[in-house]
This record gives sequence, structure tokens and C-alpha cells, in this order.
Amino acid sequence: MIDLLGFSLCLLSFNCFALAKYNHFKDVFKKRPTESQRKKLLLAAWISILLSLVLCIVTQGGYGTLLFCGFMSLSVLIIMVFYNFLVGYVKWFSVLNSVLVVLSGLFLALN
Amino acid sequence: MKDSFFRSMTWLHTWVGLIVCWLLYLIFFAGTLSFFRDEITLWNQPAIHNVQAQTQRIEAQKQQIITGFDYLASHGANSSSWRITLPEPRIPYLIYGYAKPKEPGQRRSKFENTQLNPNTMQELEPFVDTKGGNFFYRLHYDLHYMDAITARWIVCFASFFMLIAIISGVVIHKRIFKDMFSFRRNKGSRTWLDAHNLSSVLALPFHLMITYTGMITLIFMLFPYPAQTSYDDGMRGFFNDVTPRNTMTDKAQGELPMVPIQRILDQVYTKWPHADITRVQVNQPNMAASTITVLVSAGKTLRDQAPRLIFSGATGQMVAKTDDELTSSKALYESLNSMHTGRLATWLLRWLYVLGGIAGCVMIGSGCIMWAKRIRERTKNNVKPSFGLKLVEGLNLATIMGLPLATCAFFIANRLLSPTTAERADKEILAFFLTWLAVALLALIKRDTLQWRVMAAINAVACLSVPVINALTTNGNIVSYLMHKQWALFTFDALFLLFSILFFIQTEKLRTAKNNSKIISPSQSNNLKRQKP
Repeated sequence: MIDLLGFSLCLLSFNCFALAKYNHFKDVFKKRPTESQRKKLLLAAWISILLSLVLCIVTQGGYGTLLFCGFMSLSVLIIMVFYNFLVGYVKWFSVLNSVLVVLSGLFLALN
Repeated sequence: MKDSFFRSMTWLHTWVGLIVCWLLYLIFFAGTLSFFRDEITLWNQPAIHNVQAQTQRIEAQKQQIITGFDYLASHGANSSSWRITLPEPRIPYLIYGYAKPKEPGQRRSKFENTQLNPNTMQELEPFVDTKGGNFFYRLHYDLHYMDAITARWIVCFASFFMLIAIISGVVIHKRIFKDMFSFRRNKGSRTWLDAHNLSSVLALPFHLMITYTGMITLIFMLFPYPAQTSYDDGMRGFFNDVTPRNTMTDKAQGELPMVPIQRILDQVYTKWPHADITRVQVNQPNMAASTITVLVSAGKTLRDQAPRLIFSGATGQMVAKTDDELTSSKALYESLNSMHTGRLATWLLRWLYVLGGIAGCVMIGSGCIMWAKRIRERTKNNVKPSFGLKLVEGLNLATIMGLPLATCAFFIANRLLSPTTAERADKEILAFFLTWLAVALLALIKRDTLQWRVMAAINAVACLSVPVINALTTNGNIVSYLMHKQWALFTFDALFLLFSILFFIQTEKLRTAKNNSKIISPSQSNNLKRQKP
């Protein structure tokens, strides 16, 4: 479950990085993001990716950084597929991604 | 060199990449398969398909070692060496082996191995002679049919070129991070550039890590000078110094019975109460100079050399051991080594390594194709393509489509060759190289869309044949593997089915692309044909 949280945070981070780009934001929401929205997305992305890195290193030790790099690769691949081939599903995907973060976080907090 | 930094870097990236790209493709391809070398060996040995992993694996180790010593004492009493290899999560069977006398001209003794099911302690059916996953592992850095040292130098140079290509690539592809999530379809060489950029950037940390650590694994061959100047006997002295050795009783003469193995194991478990023993080796059993080496798993630590304790077989006294705390330089070397091999990685990390490896293959393959496509597009209709362009196109087809087909041939040969065939393992490898050679010969003759389409179709059929032939020649098949939760075997067959589907899709795409080119107009058709890989 800790790996799922690490991965979903990484995925969320790259999702936010992608949405912070004008073209991708416009593809999804049919309008340009405001500067404030972009800054918030970027902030969320950086917090999320740092949390993912910390989680990986704390739980996996030496192999944590490698796991984190692997999570980044997989996340970029998934985000690329959604933003280029399945744009219509990005909103649903983003909701699912956020739910995954919350659920895996709650599960770990309660156990 | 060109007149500006950017142009110089572009020149460097293009030529450094192009010179070694096919060799790099082979190295990445074989290296990616090597992350599953135990699983490939498992698939190649039907005798162990039904061996279930032990639930109480570590608890059973002590009794397995004691039984092994009894077995080896009765079967290999006069042997110079014994070896007990204990089951591991990915290698579920037990091996008791003893060295056979050396034949003239032999450097190392061959072992007479007895493989057992650890759950029942029954002997398994005879193993077929195969290299399994070790073939791809050795191919990755020793290549084949050539001297290993020469091959390693070549691989090192290719890795060095790769490192330069990666760094110069980051410099020249200025928008790789800006266009990180962009992939433009059906845009000719622009699409190939996007594929190249995307596969590079999505696994950039992996590409840098694997290339750099790959060279580090061979650093003592590349850079032996510090050791050569510090030790009188050069590298040999250096390796003797860093590897624990028995220097206390190695000069003892004559025969002496060995102490009971329980005494040795008690000392091991006193030092490491939860030891996960992977192997026990006995050198010169029943001699005064005998040694018993106990190797344990390094667990999750980034350490390549397995921690070990060495005991005198005659007295039971510990005579050498690996350091509990590594020096900074050794820790750095071992951690970089283990990062490269991912030997102790969990299944999740192992799959992520494979994803990185596939991204590496796509990066190299798309780079090769893109170069050829751009030159094709620049070549005027009435101008004959240059020898260089034809060579690159031929090598692209031979490497990118030839290697998967050769891999299928290796696995099909494993199932179709009779178990009694002489030098069977070498014949499996021969099937691999002959298939690759056949594709290369085809690529020599012609390299246009039709050839790519034919090769894609043959690859699709070959990938489909692997699980089908497996089902026809063994007691299991993809459905039974799923039912019995034999995940390694199931995934192996499922991956071949998946690649078969992907190759069928590629065949279709190439067919429709060709048909479209016929429908539009002759001039457009020519243009499109030229754009095909």
C-alpha cells in the first residue's frame, strides 16, 4: 500500500505538471489557465513529487531512489497516453488519481 | 566540428549515436531480458515448472544443508568441491552438486548436479541442457562468438558513446522537458522525433544510471592502474585483498575428517539469527585444508557481493569473513554494481527496470529510424540513395526486427530440440544467431515497407508460436499456469501473446499505410514510400 501511495503521488504530480501547461489545460478544460491556477498546479506538483520521493526513500532505503525513478517513468508514460490519446478521460483519470492518493493515505494512516 | 556549440552538440549526438546504435540496441535488448533471467531459465526447464515455492523457505534451510552434506559425503567423497544451492524466491529448487575430475584442457571442473524439489525432497526429472536466461545475461556484456575481454572493451566503448549521446541529447533537444507529455501522431519524422524524445525523457534517470553503472561494473578492466601500482602482483593481489580468503589453514597438508555441519551452522545463526542462506560451498572436503563457505542474502541493502563466512572444515573455526561495514569506496562500488543489476530488487522495481529497458530500446530504435527517414526525405526522387543510407536502413531492419525473431527462435528451439541432442545448449544459441543472420540477409536484399511488413508478420507468428509450442510439448499451458497461480510462467506466455498482437497491429498499420499510398496519387505515393522506415 505504501508503494501505491508513492506511485499515486508521483502520478498526481505529473498530472499537475501537465495541467500547468497551457496547451494541455486547454485540451482538457477548453480554456487557458489563469496565472494563479498555473502557480497552484505547479506548487501541488512539486509538493506531491517531493512527498513521493521521501516516501520511497524512507520505506525502501537504498532502492528507494530507483523505485522513485521507475515511478516517474511509469507516470510520464501514463500521463502521455491520457493527454495524447484519451484527452476526454483526463478529468475522470484525475479524480481517480486523487481518490487513490486519499484512500491509500487513509489506509496507511489507520493501520 | 561545426562553428557553434549547439551545432557541435547536434553533430556529436547524431554521429556518436549512429555509430554504435545497433550494438547499443542489442545490449539494451539483452540487458532488459536479463532482468528476468531466472524466470527465463525457469521457462526453459520444464522439469521445474511444477515446483512450488516453499512457504517456510528460510526455516527449512538448516535441514536442507544437513541432508545435503550427507548426500555429498556418500556421492562425492573424492570430489575436490561440493556446492549446495538453496532455493530462493525466484529459483524454487534445491541443488546438491559436486565437482567432477577435470578433463584435459579444462580450466574449471564441471559439476555433477542433483536437483531436488524442496517440498518433497524428491529428485526432479533430468534437466535439459540449456543456458536459459544466462544466455541473454552474458550476451548483454560478453556478446558471443568472441573473446570475452575484447567483447567487454567493445561494450564499454559503446556505453561511453551512449553516455555522450544522452548528455548531448539533453542539450540539443531543447524542448524535451517543455514537450514532455506531447506525442504528435502521423506526422512523419516529427512523430519519430517525439517517440525518440519521449522514450528518452521518460526514463532519463534510468538511462543515465544504467549506462554509468554499466561502465562501473567493468571499471577494474577499464582503469586497472591504481591497483597495478599499489600491489606487487597487480589485479590478482587487489582482488585477493578485497575478497575474504582462508589464509590460516590453506597450507595444511593431509586428510582430516570434517566437523559436523551443525557446528558451522550454529556459528552462522549466532552471528546472523535470521540468515537467509543462499549457498554453501566446500573446498577440498575431508582434507586438512578444507573450507566451508556460507553465503547469505544481502537482503535489501545495496550490496553486490553476498555476505559470507568462511570456516575451516577440519576444525570448524571461522577463518575469514566479509566486512560487516564496508569502506566508503567499496560501498560505493558495490551499490553502483547492485543498482545496475537490480539483483535484489522487488518484483515491482524489477518491472520498472524492464520499463526503463524498453524505453531505452525505443529511444535507440527511433533514433536510428529517424536518421534514415530524414536522409530519405532529403534525397531527391531521381537520386539514387547512398550506400550509407542503404546500410543504415538494412541494419535498422536487421536489428529492430531481427532480434525479437531470433529470441523467439531461441525459445522455440528450446522446446523442439530433443533432450538427448549433443551440445543442446549451443544449438539453441545457434538457432538464435542463424535466425538473426537470415533477417540480416533479407535486409541486405531489400529494406522497404514490404520487408518491414513481412518481418512484422513473421514476428507475430513466431511470438504466437512460443506459447503454442510450449503447450504442445509440455504438460502446462497459459490457462493451467493461470489456474495454478504459476505467475512467472503465465506472464512469460502472456507477454509473447501480447507481443504477437502488437506485431499483428504493426503489420496492419504498414499494410494500410501502403494501401493509402496507392489510393492517393503517384507523386504522393512516392513521397510516402520514401517516408516508410
